[in-house]
Amino acid sequence: MAFLELTDIRKQFGQAVAVEDFNLKVDRGEFVSFLGPSGCGKTTTLRMIAGFEIPTEGSVTIDGADITNKAPNQRNVGMVFQSYALFPNMTVAQNIGFGLRIRKESESAIKERVDEMLALIHLEQKGHSYPSQLSGGQQQRVALARALAIRPQVLLLDEPLSALDAKIRVSLRAEIRAIQRKLGITAIYVTHDQEEALSISDRIVVMSQGHMEQVGTPFEIYNFPQTAFVASFVGTLNTTTAEVVDSAKGILQIDGARLATAEKLDGRQKGDKVTIAIRPERFSFASEQKKANVVDCRIENITFLGSIVRIQVSIGSGKYFMDTFNNPFLELPKVGDKDQVTCSREAVLVLKD
Amino acid sequence: MKKKINLWAWFWIVLGALYFLVPLYGTFDFSLREKRGVLSLLAYQNVLADPRFRDSFTYSTLMALATIVVGLLLIVPTAYWVHLRLPQVRPLIEFITLMPFVVPAIVLVFGLIRIYSGPPLALTNSDQLTNFLLMCGYVIISMPYTYRSVDTGLRAIDVRTLTEAAQSLGAGWFTILFRIIFPNIRAALLSGAFLTFAIVIGEFTLASLLGRPAFGPYLVYMGNNRAYEPAALAIISLALTWAAIGLIQLLSHGRPGQEQVGGVH
Repeated sequence: MAFLELTDIRKQFGQAVAVEDFNLKVDRGEFVSFLGPSGCGKTTTLRMIAGFEIPTEGSVTIDGADITNKAPNQRNVGMVFQSYALFPNMTVAQNIGFGLRIRKESESAIKERVDEMLALIHLEQKGHSYPSQLSGGQQQRVALARALAIRPQVLLLDEPLSALDAKIRVSLRAEIRAIQRKLGITAIYVTHDQEEALSISDRIVVMSQGHMEQVGTPFEIYNFPQTAFVASFVGTLNTTTAEVVDSAKGILQIDGARLATAEKLDGRQKGDKVTIAIRPERFSFASEQKKANVVDCRIENITFLGSIVRIQVSIGSGKYFMDTFNNPFLELPKVGDKDQVTCSREAVLVLKD
Repeated sequence: MKKKINLWAWFWIVLGALYFLVPLYGTFDFSLREKRGVLSLLAYQNVLADPRFRDSFTYSTLMALATIVVGLLLIVPTAYWVHLRLPQVRPLIEFITLMPFVVPAIVLVFGLIRIYSGPPLALTNSDQLTNFLLMCGYVIISMPYTYRSVDTGLRAIDVRTLTEAAQSLGAGWFTILFRIIFPNIRAALLSGAFLTFAIVIGEFTLASLLGRPAFGPYLVYMGNNRAYEPAALAIISLALTWAAIGLIQLLSHGRPGQEQVGGVH
């Protein structure tokens, strides 16, 4: 049985539907991210787990217990906020010990737990500091320690790194993941940053307009997007409309060129339109020997991105991106050159309608 | 580089200071001239020796403290709830709290007397109940100042997130209000409290018409019957007000600043 379970969740604010048909089972110790653009319902769903919003329909259970209508302070759920939400009138140690004092634990037990948490976040020397005396990164680590100090059943993180600069974000997300693994705590992480979600999660729930678009591991989400939204939201992706030429052999036609896909085209007839997607890194320049899935192209633009060189090519009337690793000893084509590109049959993804 | 002195800025500062200080000096100087031909503190001695001064001042101080406590207990939870759950009713609450500026104290006190001088709530029948009625009137007339101070304090903190953070840690409403919200709007509470104190100490209309021995009616009585003592009383009142403002400054700087001192490390 799943540790955290959201069943048929629907949330409506007046006439506006914020979340609909949301079903998710999270195992104990799993790290699941809700990924999507602003307004997609990811934070609303998180707030329903925390108890700050009550679902219009559906239920939330933790470890078999229905907590759908429980007040937030009656749930054993820790939460980390984007704006840290540390209590400005309390020291770091008092902030971390706040939840334990509410639970009327003994002073010695509180001190022991606070010291343990300070060691966990590597801020042993900052116990007597006030939040205003800490940097943003330090404040967020204190917020994490405060949420963990009460030994919550589930840890909720609402875009905890959004207010921090890029370098700190990368190091802190690794720290959050390491702490989560060490404690074996079930965590739900809300973010609109695809790189963050891909790097930190066991599974990702991609959301759009209140609906779950796709649930899967970062590998599945990135490599096998099932909808046009997931394909466009996660990573850079070439999408286009193709016409079915031979559904049995998986032959498609795009902009005058023919490509084969490994995906099944069951139920598609010749002439049907399908949306296909190809990752830029799955394209490569065709060698002399390569004959299958080879299409003529023209080099339109070349962008140097450090470790990667992004080349824009036109195939027929359509424009596509192709990524290749930067190799200083290989000569790049020039804008305007005519060439041939190829990709494997497996690289041509057919998206759901 | 030598700093350029802005003469116009100093001109306006000196002009403003003179506007306030010259009448004050005049009052102070007058208060020292009770003895013919010499400067003395006789008027101050007379005032401080008068048992009515001590009694009325003590009475008004106690009424002010009661008003502050009741006013804050009424207004802080209201303003907090409006910030947290009912932001759409903020204009209505602001309108209500501005009513004492529109409805004169004389209208308020006659309304109170008319409603509470007979059954079912005959509050003017005893001194204690009349004191209670007076305190309620003071809460109303100090409401514009108290509400605005509290509202400003609440706007300066992230009420919703702090509340939710405390709730997620298991705190109930009482704990949130008294351990999170009150301490974090302390300066605003003190500001509201001392404004209330200043208003109640000098208030005349309500106390006079409800027949209570407050400091305001005593000031008017002295003004009507003595020459130099009212000036001394004005200076004493001013000193007390300044002391109250000084106390605000002192008490609101007791903790480390709220400002961020470090960037992202």
